[in-house]
Amino acid sequence: MIDQRVFQFPGIRKVIVWQSLLTVIQAILIILQAKYLSVAIVNLWKLQAVGTIVAPLVIFAVAFLGRHLMTVLKNWLTYPFVESTTKKLRKQFMAKLFDLGPSVVAQEGTGNVVTMGLEGIDKIQTYLMMIIGKVLDLAITPWLILIYIALIQWKEALFLLVIYPLIIFFMVILGLAAQAKADRQYAGYQRLSNHFVDTLRGLPTLKQLGLNKQYAGNVYSVSEDYRKKTMATLTIAMTSTFALDFFTTLSIAIIAVFLGFGLMDNTIQLLPALVILTLAPDYFAPMRNFANDYHATLNGKNALTAVLDILHRETPTDRDTLPAATPVWTPDDELHLDHVNVGYDADHATLKDISFNVRGFQKVGIIGASGSGKSTLINTLSGFLSPQAGQITARGTQVPHLDQAAWQKSFVYIPQSPYLFHASLRDNIAFYTPAASDEAVAQAAHRAGLTDWIATLPDGFATQIGEGSRGVSGGQAQRIALARAFLDDSRRILLFDEPTAHLDIETEVDLKQTMLPVFKDHLVFFATHRLHWMNEMDYILVLDHGRVVEQGTPDQLQAQNGAYVRLRSEMEGEAPA
Amino acid sequence: MKGFFKTFEHDHWVMPYLKRYKGLLTLVLFLGFMTFFCGGALMFNSGYLISKAATHPFNILMIYVPIVLARAFGIGRPAFRYAERLTSHNWVLRIVSAFRKRLYQSVEKQAVAIRQKHQTGDVLGILAEDIDHIENLYLRTIFPLVIGWLLYLFIVIGIGYFNWAFGLLMLLLLGIIVVVMPLMSVAVNGKREFQARQVQRHFYTRLTDAVLGLGDWLISGRRKAFLGQQDKPIDEIARLRRSDHYFQWWRNFAIQFLFGAAVILLVWWAGVMFTGNQAQANWVAAFGLALFPAVEPFADMSQGVSEWPVYQDSINRVNGLDENVPQLAPQQTVGDFADLTLDHVSFTYPGAQRQVIKDLSLTLHPGEKLALLGPSGTGKSTLLKLILGDETPDSGQVTINGVPVDQLQTQRAQLMGVLDQQPYLFNTTVMNNVRLGNLQATDAEVRQAVKAVELDDLIGGLPNGYNTQVQEAGSRFSGGERQRLSLARILLQDTPIIILDEPTVSLDPITEQHLLDTVFDVLKDKTIIWVTHHLTGIQHVNQVRFIEDGQFDMSGTPQDLYHENQRFRDLYDMDRGR
Repeated sequence: MIDQRVFQFPGIRKVIVWQSLLTVIQAILIILQAKYLSVAIVNLWKLQAVGTIVAPLVIFAVAFLGRHLMTVLKNWLTYPFVESTTKKLRKQFMAKLFDLGPSVVAQEGTGNVVTMGLEGIDKIQTYLMMIIGKVLDLAITPWLILIYIALIQWKEALFLLVIYPLIIFFMVILGLAAQAKADRQYAGYQRLSNHFVDTLRGLPTLKQLGLNKQYAGNVYSVSEDYRKKTMATLTIAMTSTFALDFFTTLSIAIIAVFLGFGLMDNTIQLLPALVILTLAPDYFAPMRNFANDYHATLNGKNALTAVLDILHRETPTDRDTLPAATPVWTPDDELHLDHVNVGYDADHATLKDISFNVRGFQKVGIIGASGSGKSTLINTLSGFLSPQAGQITARGTQVPHLDQAAWQKSFVYIPQSPYLFHASLRDNIAFYTPAASDEAVAQAAHRAGLTDWIATLPDGFATQIGEGSRGVSGGQAQRIALARAFLDDSRRILLFDEPTAHLDIETEVDLKQTMLPVFKDHLVFFATHRLHWMNEMDYILVLDHGRVVEQGTPDQLQAQNGAYVRLRSEMEGEAPA
Repeated sequence: MKGFFKTFEHDHWVMPYLKRYKGLLTLVLFLGFMTFFCGGALMFNSGYLISKAATHPFNILMIYVPIVLARAFGIGRPAFRYAERLTSHNWVLRIVSAFRKRLYQSVEKQAVAIRQKHQTGDVLGILAEDIDHIENLYLRTIFPLVIGWLLYLFIVIGIGYFNWAFGLLMLLLLGIIVVVMPLMSVAVNGKREFQARQVQRHFYTRLTDAVLGLGDWLISGRRKAFLGQQDKPIDEIARLRRSDHYFQWWRNFAIQFLFGAAVILLVWWAGVMFTGNQAQANWVAAFGLALFPAVEPFADMSQGVSEWPVYQDSINRVNGLDENVPQLAPQQTVGDFADLTLDHVSFTYPGAQRQVIKDLSLTLHPGEKLALLGPSGTGKSTLLKLILGDETPDSGQVTINGVPVDQLQTQRAQLMGVLDQQPYLFNTTVMNNVRLGNLQATDAEVRQAVKAVELDDLIGGLPNGYNTQVQEAGSRFSGGERQRLSLARILLQDTPIIILDEPTVSLDPITEQHLLDTVFDVLKDKTIIWVTHHLTGIQHVNQVRFIEDGQFDMSGTPQDLYHENQRFRDLYDMDRGR
């Protein structure tokens, strides 16, 4: 009913103690409220003067208000705990994201992670706010009321006691039946509800195929189909609420009839009878409240599981094994990978048995067909992925992985589409070095060949770029990433992952002219399937299905006439016209 | 409140449906009312029943009617509630079907305009969500509100029947609960909701930004800055939620307070009214208890209404959709394709300064194959839009057999087929997807098309063969395979002109080579306009044109260009890795 992990949040015990206390007071007020309303009514029934009901009505009023004040008070006492807990969860979540790095995003999906941080934690907040109060209410209120009724008239109390598990029994039985049916339909269901968005997204294609007009009928009929299926499920799903409703309402009716007979037989007086009748709905109320919010609690529970799952993940340790050094990389520094295996899941390695040495400011080309593991290798070199086996030695220090604070300060990473932050152009260029002077930023932008473009921007360096703002073409995005490298001259290692694959050839030519000068005095890893870059490299790793099948200088590989030559000729295609 | 009426002033999405499905709507409201009526009547009847019984009537028959009624109301309430929930959901889903069709048609008519108006974000997802919002508007706001008001009127009239002055008092007192409180909720929440949405959007952008740029954050080593920039929106969200909660607690308390006052007044009034004799006094308990079941629907009204600002946004958005529907020019048809001509075409996007296409002329005859190259932003995609008739030139004309293309839009799918960067595969079977090219095609024809694009082995080898689901956006298949399936679709469509809009941009060179070989092999009889970003496979065409700044720059056959043009030769060699 209540997730055990909730009890691990600090401060919850205090909340539970207070809530319990207030719930007991509230139950007593409910009984008082029923009793004195009945007293007033019975006085009137006995044809006594209206003046005699003043006192009972005042007590009723006080009890009634007190009861609802308790609700406010309970919320007021619980909220600070809930608020600080969810706030802490959000901050822990963000910190965890940073520590886990992009691999967790790759695994869970961007949308999923964002939803978790935003709506997921909102749901947890609703859950926490609700669950403690509801469970305590269910655990305390009906039983206090029942004890009070038993003190007046044990027979009716017995009936109420017996009917309680019966209602729950029926609710569960019907609920399970509905669940089973709903589960069976869920797959088809989901497909139908996604169909609409699917159709909207595919509209350009429909238009190209000339089906756009007639597809409207399809949209309607699929939606009608969806309605019929939904209704079939709802008809059953709602029976469990119906059962609850049916038994509680009917119980009240039965109690009323019982009491009527008792009164006729003179085994009970009007006042106790009326009190019991007034209290009966309040006896069932906690259960009804709990059932009504059942789905919200379920959502909250699932969200809690998802968020805690992320929070409990292990973060890479030993992030400071590699000592910091200035400069971060010298012509004599070396990097060794020795029989390294890397994979996204534990028992399946994407990269197998990778071994190579690089020294100083070498230019290392990484080439291979798509799916051969080029990006995985770059992600290992950047420390986003940790090896499962093998040894890495950087600058003479053996490290378990390259997720080293000192290592990450020594390289610039330029992927196929560099991410541009929703910020000004200046902040994007100075992302690694926010303290850089405006002159330095302008200088870096100039060297990256951005000056002409910036001159056309309305606000120059202050122009907002990134998602939802001004569009930046692929070539310009690459240049902005390059400007980052120019600006932070201390980073001596460059990791490129297909930087030009999607650019048109003329843009690529221009960009290459800007890029080549940066290679000087840098250790470069360049993964690509654009062959002409290989001419600028002095060492080449040929990847195939996660293994290094050949490595050496271009001349060596050419002479070997092996995998490299084969790959090149396959990529080149037919001979020139 | 002004916003409320303004929203519905030009509304044609919410109100018309309330009118159109009047019968079911009335039924929903009736059932909803009966639910709460039975709830109240059960307590009313029970109060009377035990009071009457307490007078020890000489015969059980004297309380027989209330006993039967108690059971009837006891069964009636859950039964009506069940029926109401089913009917209302059915009603709403029926409307959703109509909505979806309508939304589809609106989007269909102005797909281009919508994408221009809402630059980024998943506008289609948002629109689909809007429909869900309107669904909830009915279920959570309109129905509870109207049912609550019916109940309110019933109570007031019922009491007014006995005593009009007291009825008037109840009208005012309960009126605060059912009219003033909801209004206040909208006013207070509306403002807060507006703020909340801003803060939330801000947090959302920041969070997405952080998640997408996580790699760069990690490399930058700026952990503190990363955490710091989230703090402010997190605190602000917490603050807004807090005030939201506080408001709800006290509002609900106020509702209970007023309600308690109404109960006390009712008991007092019954005490004054029904104490003439014992028979009359039996009604006191009935009135004293009857009101309690009404508190739940009354409290729900304020809660439902406070969700209004969310719905308002959605209603405005869908209503805004139908404005400025572009008008289609009078349509014609042409016979067999003879030529496609661009005659001194110029084009500038509305509101933009820069002319994208400058005085371009071009003629293509059946079977000719043209490759278009040029850096991004030079007008390649615009040129394709002009050829397809999605945009109309400012001056000059695009014609097929002498007829301007904007007059050929109904015939367009018979004239031009398109293979673009990411052709869409619908979440259905392979067979259905390919058949979209020609709905009349037989299974054998579909198989033949798939064979032509060299996927027959792959598809045949799948456990479900041609009935394999392609999954969302075709994710079951690789990029190259998706392109081939779309190509099969185009083969079935069998148009004389084919437009290839960078179909290989996201493929690796080996896949790209093979795909282009297939494309030009199966389409060898067609007229092809191929926009490409580099020179792989350029030997397949008989004409190459480079666009630079809206004008043709280099042009000629690939062979001539290679031999005579140094720049082309450099680009070509570079593309081949030399």
